[in-house]
Amino acid sequence: MSIDWLTVAAQIVNFLVLVWLLKRFLYRPILDGIDAREAEIADRMQVAMRAKEEARVAEAEYRAQLSTLQSEQASATEAVRRQAEQDKDALLTEAHERVERERTAWQAHLDDERRNFTAKMQRAGGHALLELTRKALADLADETLEARMAAHLARQIGSFDSTLQHAAGHPDDAVVTSHAALPDPIQEDLTAELRHRFPDIEVHFDTDQSQPPGLILRIGGAQLAWTVDTYIDDLNDLIADQLVVGAEQRA
Amino acid sequence: MSLSPDETILFILLGFPINATIFFTWVVIAVLTVASFLITRNLRADVPPNRWRTALEVIVQGIQAQIEEIAEGPSRHLLYFAGTLFLFVAVSNLLLVVPGFEPPTSSLSTTTALALSVLVAVPLFGISSRGLGGYLKTYVEPSFIMLPFNIISEFSRGVSLAIRLYGNIMSGAVIAAILLTVAPFFFPVVMDLLGLLTGMIQAYIFAILATVYISSATAPKHPSTTQEHSP
Repeated sequence: MSIDWLTVAAQIVNFLVLVWLLKRFLYRPILDGIDAREAEIADRMQVAMRAKEEARVAEAEYRAQLSTLQSEQASATEAVRRQAEQDKDALLTEAHERVERERTAWQAHLDDERRNFTAKMQRAGGHALLELTRKALADLADETLEARMAAHLARQIGSFDSTLQHAAGHPDDAVVTSHAALPDPIQEDLTAELRHRFPDIEVHFDTDQSQPPGLILRIGGAQLAWTVDTYIDDLNDLIADQLVVGAEQRA
Repeated sequence: MSLSPDETILFILLGFPINATIFFTWVVIAVLTVASFLITRNLRADVPPNRWRTALEVIVQGIQAQIEEIAEGPSRHLLYFAGTLFLFVAVSNLLLVVPGFEPPTSSLSTTTALALSVLVAVPLFGISSRGLGGYLKTYVEPSFIMLPFNIISEFSRGVSLAIRLYGNIMSGAVIAAILLTVAPFFFPVVMDLLGLLTGMIQAYIFAILATVYISSATAPKHPSTTQEHSP
């Protein structure tokens, strides 16, 4: 065992060369590579953190926008629903009003029809009643209705003498109106009766087709009517009752 | 049978005899340098490392971690020195399995050279860390009486390093050679396997001891000492 100092010197040099070579080709590239990779990883982590933060901010913004949109959508839906409710109420009101108007119009039309029908029935009934009465008087007693009514009026004037004179005052003329022209004998009887109560009075006879059958005496400020209106009214009441009963039975 | 490869002269280069120790040291240097160059020539931070680069990173970071545990902090110069010690000794001992290869560490000249390198590196690292005055002051601590003992201690460290590594590696090689003559087909294999293990252990111990010596020279002053000088 011996030490070769030349070899020792050479080995020291060799070792120092090896230190330099490994520093040049091993340690520095490896450590620099590790440092660079760590730096790159740190950079990527920072980029990732920034991206994550940006994503978090974006998510918050999108959530806020979504919330706003949902709120606006709810408001719009509520507004549309309210508008629809208002439109529905307006349409229902309009429909009810229209129905009410149509019902009122229909009721008015129905009332008109009823009145027309009633008037027609009254006219027809009254006419039929008078015709039957006339025919019965003519067939059974050889008399006319107007003649008998005039004769009866002449007799009734006496019973109203004081009242009639008081209401009429001092008339100069009197007018007797009838549905049809009165026969001359009846006109003479009525003239004589009136002149008996009111001397020097002028008596005129007139006809009015719209007047109910019978006689109407106008003298001064008084008027005495002797017509079939009461009977016609009773007939009208009877017809109206029958119409009401018929409507109730149909309902 | 020669006990040291120093005695084997392989060729003459420029008038200098090149013995087996120097030649196989060059081989080890070439292996380490070429391998490092091939692996690290195309390093890029944005490219994932391959298996070879990963292996080198594991080795370098392992050495760095060991040094940081001892030296209480990272030091690239210490890594260059102690890491090279470890790699040189380890590769020299691992190449023992190559037929015809004589490990340079089995030469007392090599281990002496390495021990002398450590012996010189300790004060250099200490001076660079503490300054010349600060380093020389450590020889008279805790008192001036300790100066000769500290000097003896420094030299004995180098001698022990050299003898330890040489004795282990050389003895392994010599024992393998002796057993080769006794039982040529069995014992050399076992001894080579054992030599690989002891070689790695010796490389680790050598590098660790060098790191400890250098760290003790570069270690900062004790806090109590600092407080003594503070106003």
